[in-house]
Amino acid sequence: MVNVLTPETQERAAHGPPSAGAAVDGRGRTRQRRRQAVVAYLFLVPTLLFYAVFLILPLGFALLLSMSRWAGFDLGDIDPVGLDNFAGLFADGSTFLAPILTNTLLFALGTVALALSGSVVVATCIDKLRFQGLWRTLYFLPIVTTVVAVGNVWKYMYEPGGLVNGVLNALGLGSVAFLQDPDTALPAVVVVQAWASVGSAILILTAGLKSIPESYYEAAALDGAGPVTVFWKITLPLLRPSLLFVCVTQFLTGLQSFALIIVMTKGGPGDATNVAALEMYRQAFSYGDWGTASAAAFALFVVVLAATLAQLWMFRRKGEDA
Amino acid sequence: MTASPSRGRGLSRRHFALALPSALLASGCAAPHRGTGRPGDPIVLTLLSHYASGELKAALQGPVDEWNATHDRVKVRTKAVEFTDLLTTVMVRQAAGQGTDILHPYCLWNGQLVRAGVLRPAPPEHAEEIGRGYGAAAVGSASVEGKVYGYPTEMQTYALYYNKRLLRAAGIDRPPRTWRELEDAAYRTARRDAYGNTLVQGFGLSTYDDSTTVGQTLALLNAAGGRFVSADGRSTAIDSPAGRAVFDLEHRLVVSGASAPGVNVYQAFASGQVAMVVSAGWWTTNLKGLMGKDYRDVGVAPVPVPEADDRPATLSTGFMLGVNAAAKYPSEAWEFLRWLNTEKVRVKGLGKSAGTGATATRMSSLQVSVGSLTGRADDMRTLLGRGGDPNLRPFLDALAYAVPEPNVPGAQQAKSLLRKNIEALWTGQRSVDEALRTTRRQVDQEVSRSW
Amino acid sequence: MTRRRFPWFSYLLVVTGAVLTVVPFLDMLMTSFKGPGESGTLPYRFLPEAFDLSNYRAAIDQLDLPVLFRNSVVATGVITGSVLLTSSLAGYALAKLRFPGRKFIFRLVLSTMMFPPFLFFVPHFLILVHWPLAGGNDLFGRGGAGLTVSIVALAMPFLVSSFGIFLMRQFMVSIPDEVLEAARIDGAGEFAVWWRIVVPQTKPVLVTLGLLTFVDAWNEYIWALLVSTANPDVMTLPVGIQLLQDYVDPTRTLPIVMAGLVLSILPVLTLFLLLQKYYIRGVMLSGLK
Repeated sequence: MVNVLTPETQERAAHGPPSAGAAVDGRGRTRQRRRQAVVAYLFLVPTLLFYAVFLILPLGFALLLSMSRWAGFDLGDIDPVGLDNFAGLFADGSTFLAPILTNTLLFALGTVALALSGSVVVATCIDKLRFQGLWRTLYFLPIVTTVVAVGNVWKYMYEPGGLVNGVLNALGLGSVAFLQDPDTALPAVVVVQAWASVGSAILILTAGLKSIPESYYEAAALDGAGPVTVFWKITLPLLRPSLLFVCVTQFLTGLQSFALIIVMTKGGPGDATNVAALEMYRQAFSYGDWGTASAAAFALFVVVLAATLAQLWMFRRKGEDA
Repeated sequence: MTASPSRGRGLSRRHFALALPSALLASGCAAPHRGTGRPGDPIVLTLLSHYASGELKAALQGPVDEWNATHDRVKVRTKAVEFTDLLTTVMVRQAAGQGTDILHPYCLWNGQLVRAGVLRPAPPEHAEEIGRGYGAAAVGSASVEGKVYGYPTEMQTYALYYNKRLLRAAGIDRPPRTWRELEDAAYRTARRDAYGNTLVQGFGLSTYDDSTTVGQTLALLNAAGGRFVSADGRSTAIDSPAGRAVFDLEHRLVVSGASAPGVNVYQAFASGQVAMVVSAGWWTTNLKGLMGKDYRDVGVAPVPVPEADDRPATLSTGFMLGVNAAAKYPSEAWEFLRWLNTEKVRVKGLGKSAGTGATATRMSSLQVSVGSLTGRADDMRTLLGRGGDPNLRPFLDALAYAVPEPNVPGAQQAKSLLRKNIEALWTGQRSVDEALRTTRRQVDQEVSRSW
Repeated sequence: MTRRRFPWFSYLLVVTGAVLTVVPFLDMLMTSFKGPGESGTLPYRFLPEAFDLSNYRAAIDQLDLPVLFRNSVVATGVITGSVLLTSSLAGYALAKLRFPGRKFIFRLVLSTMMFPPFLFFVPHFLILVHWPLAGGNDLFGRGGAGLTVSIVALAMPFLVSSFGIFLMRQFMVSIPDEVLEAARIDGAGEFAVWWRIVVPQTKPVLVTLGLLTFVDAWNEYIWALLVSTANPDVMTLPVGIQLLQDYVDPTRTLPIVMAGLVLSILPVLTLFLLLQKYYIRGVMLSGLK
């Protein structure tokens, strides 16, 4: 439920200005401080308790499970097996690396590529139009729609009697079994995921566009630059921070999401649309293999972490450039 | 979570604010309602099956209502989910401590369910009764490592469905018995239009789900004398001459255009666009409903064997009713299962054909009423004796020689892996050699991990 | 920005894209009016033969929509309320109170956002199952069903939002200390300061955060699917519609499901359209400086 933040924001936030209790004399100040500390912790108690129970405990539990074999019902039966589960994931004949992890990466990359290119074009175009709010609202509709609705509507549209094939047939083309054919299933799902995430990308890119000073465009106009030149030489370079941000967040989201896939294909046909998070879900809740499931979750976490660190690194470097 | 005493009017609100989460927790602390155990209250047994809709649901509810009407102390309440959600539901509910007392698992999962401690072994007297009353394939499916875990219920065997009209149109007057005849018939019945679109498939290959996709292939494999999993359950036996022969056969059928695996075979056959399909007995009922009077074109024959003098063989799959290891009242649950599955009662609604005084178990009557079989040959003979759908005959005969689907731990995953590989073979992503090799590598890795 | 000519090319692109975005919704709406045998047949037709409302009645009856609706409302309400309350309290403490460990806790809040949700599905589920003294469990969390018997299981993992705390904290930092100090000198306790000064001043952010949380919670699928598998009594709208589509009248499954989906997205869509400026600001805040 939480979006990843840009490190700049984190940076600024962490070193935010100290506040409270400005100029009070010595004794009163100590008393007030102590009182503030008590109140502060009271205010933080629900949050800290939540972190203890739903963050730290589960992380430890997941780590323990990833290195154990467990039938799943009695906590006393957890049997430590070291790194066996991880070894199993990457053993010869295991499907985790290929196609599952490859699918995960393709899914994430495909979504980013489609959503990014679509949103850049649309955001720059919207910027020139009237009724900008209306257009953005329309593009935003899929974001507030439950994945069950999105998935089912598209599943139906991809069917032989559905809208997409209806259009294809009207154009004189043959029907395509999008979700049944292993070659088209993954691209078909990627299109839907991109369709559903273009809206927020447009929003963020629009904010980026608004922050480009008008004077750049005026200067370009004086030089007689055409709209295409302006787009390539001014808009895109100055939009880089927003682009990078959209790129990275969408990539991270893509690596993790599997709700749409559960709704549309359940990972099939075969393993054609199976992704790492879905595999984790199935290993745990269909096959009762909690160890392998937790190991798969951590393996995916490493990928996500690598992407996050790459993001940090890129932003840092950009910061130094500036 | 205590708020330290403090001043100010914020006090009550703060109490409220901090009390909210704990109130939330408390509201969840009520014990789950199941058999209360209070004297006088009946014991309520819950039963989870995939008889979720339509006539299956009604067919099971009949005997359950009868039990509830005639038993005061123990009542049975049914719950149902779709088959595709059944395994996950069993596992999740068990993990959540909310498993039902009685389960109706697909026998393929028995190894996994036993390993996970979901199923309770049948008490000796029940195990004995099961061994006595059912055919070997049925008992085998309901057993794990020689121990019986439940009463076999629905049994499915695989046979060849064929469309008499389409075969006749191609000049063939009887269903194929050997693979050579099968291929020949497939090529002669297949038809395409000028654009290359398939109008009639000679031999349909289902890609509908794990069970149908793998079932047809394993039926052919068993008919060729092969097996999917080795006798000890620790490796796959598909990379064998028999396995290669099956993969070769399917590959040839697809390449030649006699099979078009992208099409939904179950709809296409019903509308006369497929000449032959290997499928299980449950399909007869569906076809009757879908095809109406065209159903008279449908014939069923044993799965063809490679050579004319080969022994017949096919695949059998099944379900069973077992008792949860966590059930509070196991002996009551077993008693209900005995009553449902082995107590013989007068058969109603059979008409003159079966004669008066014919008896069968409630489960057998239930299954036959929805077009399925049970593993009780005597009941099946009684219920299907005369006047029944002759197409059910080959499935009944197959009970004697069918090979039960392997149910080692990891069998479901192995099945999924096999499915993925044969689909890759059909779509041309893998050659026969590659498909055999990857199937062996992947299944070996899976079943060895599960042990 | 050059607006000398009419930007017909941009219009063309934007309108095409907008049509592509809206058409699936229209298709859902149209399908929901189609009669038996009208959907999924060839050739495809966009408009229904008649605008038949019976699918909506069937969806309400056959899918048990009132129960699903109630569960969704309860879960969403609890989550939104809890997130607003905890974010505001914790945000205030981190922004305006001085206490040992403040920096550490703030860093903790930020770092929690690095952990992806999928890492927690399995352990969260097991923790709820083995919750001590709930659902028939003993003190050590054994023997019963834990919190999975209760509707709070739907909400538990989402009761606190690190992003919400961060958001509130960032906004509260800009409240001038003098205002708070003046209230304190007037004798107001910290709780009163929070409730009477900080909360009113941050109302717009609270609306934004509430809306973001509401929409996410209403649309949540994976966790709700898991919890409802263990205990169908707490099934939410998205799960119910997805899971139960096999149970409705098969000749009109699709129209009924689409009708159910239309009904299920209406509350969120309405709320979004009414309060979209708050929501859109939330999305920007989650992304930009």
